[in-house]
Amino acid sequence: MLCIEWARASIQAQPYMAIPALVVGGAALGAVALGTPADRLGLGTSRLGLRILGGMALGAVLLLPAAVRSGSVPIMPAGLAFAAVAVSIGEELAFRGALYAALHEVGGAPLAIIGSTALWTAAHALSHPPAFLGAVAAAGLLLALWRWACRDLVGPVIGHVIADLAL
Amino acid sequence: MAVTAYMVAAWMVAPGFYDGFGPVQPYNWTCPPPQAGANLKPSSGHLDIKVIGGVSDANSAFSNDGQVVIGFLPGAFDSTGKTTISVDVTPLPTCPQPAGIRLVTNVYQITASASLVKSANLVLRYSNLEPAPTDVYFASDPGGPWKSIGAAQQAQPFTIVTTTKLFGYFAAGYASASPPPGAVSVGGGQALPIVVAVLIGLVVLAGIPLAILRRRQSHGEAEEEGDV
Repeated sequence: MLCIEWARASIQAQPYMAIPALVVGGAALGAVALGTPADRLGLGTSRLGLRILGGMALGAVLLLPAAVRSGSVPIMPAGLAFAAVAVSIGEELAFRGALYAALHEVGGAPLAIIGSTALWTAAHALSHPPAFLGAVAAAGLLLALWRWACRDLVGPVIGHVIADLAL
Repeated sequence: MAVTAYMVAAWMVAPGFYDGFGPVQPYNWTCPPPQAGANLKPSSGHLDIKVIGGVSDANSAFSNDGQVVIGFLPGAFDSTGKTTISVDVTPLPTCPQPAGIRLVTNVYQITASASLVKSANLVLRYSNLEPAPTDVYFASDPGGPWKSIGAAQQAQPFTIVTTTKLFGYFAAGYASASPPPGAVSVGGGQALPIVVAVLIGLVVLAGIPLAILRRRQSHGEAEEEGDV
């Protein structure tokens, strides 16, 4: 997963490569979750309304600091929107889905939460300046805690997509 | 606690950190927006184009920071009686905001020692700290009037491309009466903080009941296993 994310970050920086890198990177991360049953990933349709509502709330929390400070958030060019959705879903399936499930099996919830957050942060080390990694880690921790408390990945996926589309 | 930790951490950096679309697209601002952080002043640029056999060479003038590039085809200039043609790209030290238009880049003055007879290709880079522009605007004087000279459909990310046969002042922006078409937005303006605050309340409506239901369910399963 780290290799995929770091390769994605390196390729993304090349001219004309941002969208392909994000889409292919997102698909590759999503492929990590193949073979893991949906319920172990935290996916499912039970109480779907609450999950979706929770995802919107997570998205709102992730956007709040930017919204309060600037009154409006930076707006992404439409061409990047599909790529943003692809990489958001891929990252959630990989980090809070497959990785979380694997770590939970080995060491329970603490290892799953801390381990998935640590690897998520490390995965963003090449694409973000060091000053941003604290916020990335905090966002990862928030999403991992939701994953643990609600045993749900739908909320983090929706929250992540909303945040990526706006930020 | 996790929400608070996130708020504190996110407050310390500029928006745009989350997933690498940002980090913030580098841009040297004449008038940086509040969230821009450290800023370098924009650069100017100069180009001398050779005239060979009465025909001006193909070449490109650009600002040294690459935020503006203007490309000329062979014979693009009226080069009568000239051996070289000078082109200058200079950022305007002020930031005019004409009525009805929201300019989201610096304003650049582009001048040349000869007039154009063929259209030049103009590329302006922009930042993701502002909404994406839909058009390049032109004025012969920074005080206006400003008029749209359009934009090509295809461009690299965070650039806007158009053509011009005139020299003067250029900037990218959009009609401020409406949000930029084609942009993805989850809100904006004064309403956004209120909408976000309301949505945060949904954490209580969604997260807590969902967590309780999940925990109760797993507790029930554990009891059933214990009964066997």
